[in-house]
Amino acid sequence: MTSTEKKFDESDFSMFFGPAHPGSGNFSVKVDMRGERVLKATADPGYLHRGFEKLMEYREPMQNAVISDRVCVLEPLQWNLVHAEAVDNLMEYDVPERAKYIRVIMAELSRIQSHFIWYAVMSLGTGFMTGFNVSMGYRDYILDVFNLITGGRVYPAGYLCPGGVRKDFPETAEKKILKLLDKIEYMRKFATKENLAWLARFKDIGVITKEDAIKYGATGPVLRGSGVSADVRRDDPYEVYDQLEFDIPVYDEGDAYHRFRVGMEEIEESMKIIKQAVERLPKGEVKTPNLKPIVQFRKAKGETYVRNELSRGEGTFYMVATGEKTPYRVKIRGPSFSHMIPILERLLTGVDYADVPAIYWSLYQCPADVDR
Amino acid sequence: MKVGPVLEVFKNLFKKPMTVMFPKEVVEIPDRNRGEHHLDIDKCSSCGSCARICPNNAIEMVEVPPEFAEKYPKTYPQVDLGKCCFCALCEDICPKDAIVLTTNVFLATFDINTTIKPPIIAE
Repeated sequence: MTSTEKKFDESDFSMFFGPAHPGSGNFSVKVDMRGERVLKATADPGYLHRGFEKLMEYREPMQNAVISDRVCVLEPLQWNLVHAEAVDNLMEYDVPERAKYIRVIMAELSRIQSHFIWYAVMSLGTGFMTGFNVSMGYRDYILDVFNLITGGRVYPAGYLCPGGVRKDFPETAEKKILKLLDKIEYMRKFATKENLAWLARFKDIGVITKEDAIKYGATGPVLRGSGVSADVRRDDPYEVYDQLEFDIPVYDEGDAYHRFRVGMEEIEESMKIIKQAVERLPKGEVKTPNLKPIVQFRKAKGETYVRNELSRGEGTFYMVATGEKTPYRVKIRGPSFSHMIPILERLLTGVDYADVPAIYWSLYQCPADVDR
Repeated sequence: MKVGPVLEVFKNLFKKPMTVMFPKEVVEIPDRNRGEHHLDIDKCSSCGSCARICPNNAIEMVEVPPEFAEKYPKTYPQVDLGKCCFCALCEDICPKDAIVLTTNVFLATFDINTTIKPPIIAE
């Protein structure tokens, strides 16, 4: 009789992976183990709950644009965009063409820096410190451009605001963005180089089948890594994505390595989008209807549901306006929720403990948007 | 033997480091950077828009010390940098451009009282 058939074993114990674990990032998973093998994993969210949905009901849309950065620390500009689109829909703003292009450029740069963090944390989780340092170093070049354009390195403070963008590009911005693409290309090559240690840690680990991925509500690179070609930018285009050419990378394998490959190929697609958008960037206004940061939200009535393709998957905003200064109800759906609770629990069952961080980070989670 | 990694090592030997020696030199800070506030009290019309738009309620309209009360009789914005999220909405909304965010980002302090910036400092 093997030990796995016994009901209890002297090597049974349960432990927490996070939230204070250096490699877990404010999210905790309780793992019940027998020796080195995980018997059961239970996700335990809530450590980073800040109550944005409630906070937004007490603030005006322009102030909410500032708060919306904080929904996910790693992709603030994209959350800015979702919020701005929700208010634009309610207010029926006609966003100027130039602002739309600026929004796309900034959102794609944000996607690239977020994918760099993905490579960094996957390296960190598996003890490859060089990868972490190099990736975070190259991410800094992107943050420098954010600082030049938005005035903040990480938090743009509602740069993509309702009605357009808060400020136009400075003169040097376009040149700097095109120059930055060389740096991004170097880092992308570094990250996608064949690496035997990397393959050994991530290949054939944490496999999600196509059916499971759809059943549990996966979106973004996790879904595309399992062989489903779905992308909001193509299926339900927003801003100017319908005028830009880009491909959607898909892999059928569904393991940790191929999810990551999807992310790295998305960087290439994002670079294509940025190049096209910078070339076509029209001249003109960047903001409607006035220069002051006030939205006449009392005019808005009704409800809206906006979805965007963030770097981690689908992020959505549901907003109800009843003719008051502030929204009546706000609901945020972060992409990481379905990845971190049903899918992670399922994937961790029966794996070795050493694979826990590899699977955990390959799902590309952001605890901030799980807890909101 | 692969030569690729060796070449990479030699390339990196002659590259400039990515970091700078911080207290002696600092990275370039762009003009748009949102840092410490600067209030031009002579331009301020005491409308209180900045206090109302502030998402964190970091701005309070206060009276100036008695020795300046004759020259500045109204209330003026006092910024609590501890609460401030440096969103620059106050700068955008100001009708007279009296309050602006400077590029000063070196705001670390050991004394909690120094985080409150009164509109005018008594000597």
